[in-house]
Amino acid sequence: MTVSKKIVLIGHFGVGKTSLIRRFVENTFSEDYKVTIGVHISKKTITIPEGEQISLIIWDLEGQDDIKKTRPSYLLGTNGFIYVFDLSRPVTFQDLNSELSFLKENYPKIPVKVVGNKMDLVNKIYLKEHQTIFEPHVDYFVSAKTGSKVEKLFSKLAEDLI
Amino acid sequence: MNQDEKLNIIKDILLTDEREFVSAIEKKIKILENTVNKKENLSVKVDPIIETKLNEFVKEIPETLGPTITEALKTEIKNSQDAVVEALYPILGKMIKRYVQHEMKLLSERINNQVNKTFSFKRFFRRAKSKASGINESELILQEQTNAKIEQIIIIEKGSGLLLAEYSKNKMADEDMVAGMLTAIKSFVEDAFKKESQNLQYIEYDLYHIHIQNFSSFYIAVVVSGAYNVIFKDQLEDKLFEFADKEKIVKHLKNKSLLSKKIEDFFKNDSI
Ligand SMILES: Nc1nc2c(ncn2[C@@H]2O[C@H](COP(=O)(O)OP(=O)(O)OP(=O)(O)O)[C@@H](O)[C@H]2O)c(=O)[nH]1
Ligand SMILES: [Mg+2]
Repeated sequence: MTVSKKIVLIGHFGVGKTSLIRRFVENTFSEDYKVTIGVHISKKTITIPEGEQISLIIWDLEGQDDIKKTRPSYLLGTNGFIYVFDLSRPVTFQDLNSELSFLKENYPKIPVKVVGNKMDLVNKIYLKEHQTIFEPHVDYFVSAKTGSKVEKLFSKLAEDLI
Repeated sequence: MNQDEKLNIIKDILLTDEREFVSAIEKKIKILENTVNKKENLSVKVDPIIETKLNEFVKEIPETLGPTITEALKTEIKNSQDAVVEALYPILGKMIKRYVQHEMKLLSERINNQVNKTFSFKRFFRRAKSKASGINESELILQEQTNAKIEQIIIIEKGSGLLLAEYSKNKMADEDMVAGMLTAIKSFVEDAFKKESQNLQYIEYDLYHIHIQNFSSFYIAVVVSGAYNVIFKDQLEDKLFEFADKEKIVKHLKNKSLLSKKIEDFFKNDSI
């Protein structure tokens, strides 16, 4: 039987949460920015290496410049978080420390994957410059546009949940 | 009577007495032995005593043991609050519903009297329709109410919005996504109007009515097509409470296929 898990994507406005989900679920990408209002829910069933089927019910939340403003009821019963920031816009990762400790404090047992998106917009030198911020936290540098590491991100998270 | 004879008589008396005394005691001991050894004999003697003691004990329970038992029950309930709430939910739901129903009935009777006197567009149109179509009026009234139909029943975990079970007559949308979306809408609305802890009970979507019945850790969403009216809602609620109660839903929340089968068996046969 397939198990279902609730995955929630959070992060600032316009960091590419919706784009990452669209890349993962439909394998498409659009340059247009359509702000998410409220929540959008999608679903994708994947098979993890152990052969088990797992249905990811993915909650795409509207962006918040402060994680504390997220409606708590949307986060109830979450099995795994993906925290997204935009590598090209420092304003979206300057509070990374406090944003992530908020999750750790309030959802101590829930796995969190931290991803820097829009990898296609930055270069190695830039990543080096911000190493002190990125290195302790970031699990994956991804790009919804090129699709780089997107599949890996979701499937690794799924494995962590079993 | 000489001295010897006298002595003999005395001896006789004394000895006889002694012998009788001894045999009397022997007899008593035998009876006692008998009574003690044979259970049934003993119980004839002892039972009445035990019974009186027991009666006294029972009489005293409220004073002596009562507080202890109450205390134990209280802690037990406190420690397993969730289980108690789950168990009571359908029953409480029914009770509250009955009460509200009664009050509503009184109110609506009063209103009905008013409305009937003043105006009734609906009746006017129905009459016109009846005349034009040749179908009699009461049949038309029935028609207005028989259209409601259950399309889909979904049991959803509160909070996570994950699907626990599902049954649909015609496959509609992806039930996992419907479950999540409904939960998101529900929490949004409930947050937005958070005066007291209110629960969203109804959503209109497209041509469908989504009836929401809340339980403690889960809720049931019923997608209804056609005329969802008070009468239908009422019957549906009763049926859902009955379902939750009789089928012991709480015990099977972890078993999707069994629970889905239970919904199907319970709801497939009627329009409700
Ligand atoms: N170059 C580049 N652009 C991206 C990438 N991912 C997203 N974008 C663009 O960034 C903009 C915002 O993307 P969204 O996916 O809508 O962002 P969001 O996080 O869902 O935004 P909100 O819903 O408002 O919180 C869009 O114009 C996307 O085309 C990426 O990997 N590379
Ligand atoms: Mg979005």
